[in-house]
Amino acid sequence: MIQSQTHLNVADNSGARQLMCIRILGNSNRRYAYIGDIVVAVIKEAVPNTTLERSEVIRAVIVRTCKQLKRSNGIIINYDDNAAVVIDQEGNPKGTRIFCAIVRELRQLNFTKIVSLAPEVL
Amino acid sequence: MWAALRVRAWSRCSLNSQPWKQGFSSLSTVVDGRKCPLDLTEIENVLTDVKADDVKVIPVPKHCDWADFMVLATGRSTWHVKNIAQALVYKAKQKQKGAARITLPSVEGQAGGKWIVIDSGKVIVHALDEKARAYYNLEGLWTSGTIQNEPIEDLQKAMVKVRRKNNSKKPAQKNA
Repeated sequence: MIQSQTHLNVADNSGARQLMCIRILGNSNRRYAYIGDIVVAVIKEAVPNTTLERSEVIRAVIVRTCKQLKRSNGIIINYDDNAAVVIDQEGNPKGTRIFCAIVRELRQLNFTKIVSLAPEVL
Repeated sequence: MWAALRVRAWSRCSLNSQPWKQGFSSLSTVVDGRKCPLDLTEIENVLTDVKADDVKVIPVPKHCDWADFMVLATGRSTWHVKNIAQALVYKAKQKQKGAARITLPSVEGQAGGKWIVIDSGKVIVHALDEKARAYYNLEGLWTSGTIQNEPIEDLQKAMVKVRRKNNSKKPAQKNA
């Protein structure tokens, strides 16, 4: 359940370390974002000497949430933290590698690029 | 960033791992039992027809069950990359006979034209321009079995403290 002002970790090597969600894209009065939703975020903390800088506004896809993701066959997936992957306006990921295991629902939501960069698919 | 590595994901699952793909059934590109819209041989034919450069077919390691083959192709320009994607979708559409609906491959990134992914079930085609191919280095990710090592090396580089250059006047005086 990501809402605006939620701090997010970064799950790729784009150079950002911490994001803060400022807007959830989609419906105008949408409250929460879950795995596979696109949010607008501010970079709160970044690795020095990288392309991304602090206080830059970017788009990101949520890939891990503390809120459980339920599948229709009874599997429940939840993570220890909230994390996102930085993308650009066209949907290409900024980083070249993704570190965590990723749910396969992202592929059905048309984020095949993120899935193909990930080391493991749950 | 280490927190990202420490993250544990667990799934409280009933042990039958078979019916993964039942959720999102309306959206899914892969339906069990049905054939993929495009075969490997067809894809290779189409890619040679549109003159895609540097075509590579990579069998995906077995622990990843979400796809069997990754096909990488390079286009010379954004238009060329877009045309590669269009030709593949056109080929899939041609296979439709009569009123029977077929599942078309899902296309991602058609607007940009730097990296287009055509996801036809078990075979996934990546059409990239040259810069994007060098940047993402998908061959390195999928051919070498050591997926984990690269990013960790990057991380360690990021963590290393770089000492600033010594701009004090002493060595300058030596030179003078």
